Amino acid sequence: MCVVALVLPLALSSNARAQAPSTGSEQAAGRGAGSLPTARANAPIDLSGYWVAIISEDWRWRMITPAKGDFPSIPLNREGQRIAEAWDPAKDEAAGEQCRAYGAPGLMRGPTRLHITWQDDNTLKLETDYGMQTRVFRFGSTSAASAARTWQGVSAAQWITAAGGRGRDGAPRFGSMKSVTTQLRPGYLRKNGVPYSASTIFTEFWDVHRQANGDQLMVITNIVEDPDYLQLPWITAIHFKKEANGSKWDPTRCDARF
Amino acid sequence: MNGISLTRVVASVCALLMVSVPAFAQIELSGSYAPRLYEDYIERGPGSDLGDFTGMPMSDEARAKALLYTSNIPSMIERQCIAQSPWVGMYRPRGFKIWSELDDAGRVVAWIIGGDNLRGTITIWMDGRPHPSPNAIHPSAGFTTGKWEGDTLTARTTHVKTAWIRRGNGIPASDQSTFTIHITRHDDLLTITTIQEDPFYLTEPHVVSRVWQFDPRGDQSQEGICNTAVEIPYLEDSGLVPHYLPGQNPEADFMIRTYNIPKEAALGYAETLYPEYRKKIRGLYVPQPSCDRYCCGWIERQGLPGGAPNLSCNDGGFGVLGPRGRRAIGK
Repeated sequence: MCVVALVLPLALSSNARAQAPSTGSEQAAGRGAGSLPTARANAPIDLSGYWVAIISEDWRWRMITPAKGDFPSIPLNREGQRIAEAWDPAKDEAAGEQCRAYGAPGLMRGPTRLHITWQDDNTLKLETDYGMQTRVFRFGSTSAASAARTWQGVSAAQWITAAGGRGRDGAPRFGSMKSVTTQLRPGYLRKNGVPYSASTIFTEFWDVHRQANGDQLMVITNIVEDPDYLQLPWITAIHFKKEANGSKWDPTRCDARF
Repeated sequence: MNGISLTRVVASVCALLMVSVPAFAQIELSGSYAPRLYEDYIERGPGSDLGDFTGMPMSDEARAKALLYTSNIPSMIERQCIAQSPWVGMYRPRGFKIWSELDDAGRVVAWIIGGDNLRGTITIWMDGRPHPSPNAIHPSAGFTTGKWEGDTLTARTTHVKTAWIRRGNGIPASDQSTFTIHITRHDDLLTITTIQEDPFYLTEPHVVSRVWQFDPRGDQSQEGICNTAVEIPYLEDSGLVPHYLPGQNPEADFMIRTYNIPKEAALGYAETLYPEYRKKIRGLYVPQPSCDRYCCGWIERQGLPGGAPNLSCNDGGFGVLGPRGRRAIGK
């Protein structure tokens, strides 16, 4: 008899996405005839809102601009090292390249706040006050090959929904976002000229952890793969704390020196 | 009650039981993991600089105590094998192994993270048992329970011993420290986030996130190999406890004079962890003209397994893993 009961939770689970709470527009988008649920309706975690970086790691390399040639922890190859040791911020300024340290792989480790919103039902937008950058994450099929190279590149995103975390009967939903960013304009992993090339692939896993006191932490596991300047993937994790509002949002332009 | 309705009732009860029973194992964590030392390399590799409390939200009491620290303290025989915090692995260059303990029904009762000579084996109980009384003994690994939140194992550690928070420069933690831990596996990467709270030595939760990578050769768990030896002859049977008196630590300004870092950042004030602090020091901080110590970090490992061949790097002779460091050790 319990065989029936064994099947029941699976059935509940398979219907979970359709039953999950969503806004009116999401319902319309998600339940129309023949249409697929939107990324927004399917979101197992809520990344939207204001988040502030907690610089509790690598402080000397993230909060301030380290000395030229100071690049421990990064598995540079010989060419990457050569370029890092030739860093000249004045040259970057003269070339209009003062945002080189604000490309996605370097920016995310910077002392920044993030403002994440839904641009549309399948596009997540991330803005930073540090360097005033904007990156969009597109869910579903997207072609990056023909896109122009930019500091923020082209980010393809997908949800990874955890087993048992699909929000059945109002239960919490669990999961992660995986994003893969390509078409990056060459920039710096660190403010002091540690380079990444146009060949870079930047993969991120986004998790949100709710604390017992209600605080929320966003932890992003990053993988920077650069066949031109790295010997191995540069793998790190960073964390942000959710803020109630944007009262501390303070946009500042790119700065090649500080 | 007819047969159909009885079936429904029993099925519903069974289903409810299944839904309400805690998930015992969402994903498999078992395996060996190697650390990826791509953050805080100096602390996790050669060891922290004395007086480097950057990135820490320390209380005045913690700061005062940390500045009494001298690196001779761990050389005392009676202090050489004092167990460190169960989660000190966040600050060390060690790999580890994770395995599970099963009950008779094959359900995971606990996840185990192998310990080493300075850190106890951590048992993360998954069977719903409560934490012991506040007055219970504090074992070297503390007491940890866990639950699955989706694919993340969220754990809580209490009952720890007094220990240093980070590695090698005396930042203290009390036995009232508690940890919330999130362990998430993405492909072959294991991300561990720890949130440490301490009513005496931290002014806000201290958050650290690190990554390990699945690696069959990554396990460095070792039990029971901490041997004591006289490292500093004059300390033997002297009754001396090495320390600096308040205000007399010559390394208190090490980070300031070496890296031009503002005093409040070097000494671990919480405000220095947030972006607005950077704006406060604009115009005050001037980077060194060039790097002259520990410059290359990971690259210093050239010639070692996994290292990069044929690279040279100016490490100022400080990197013990670098070529000059190895020669110095060999002398």
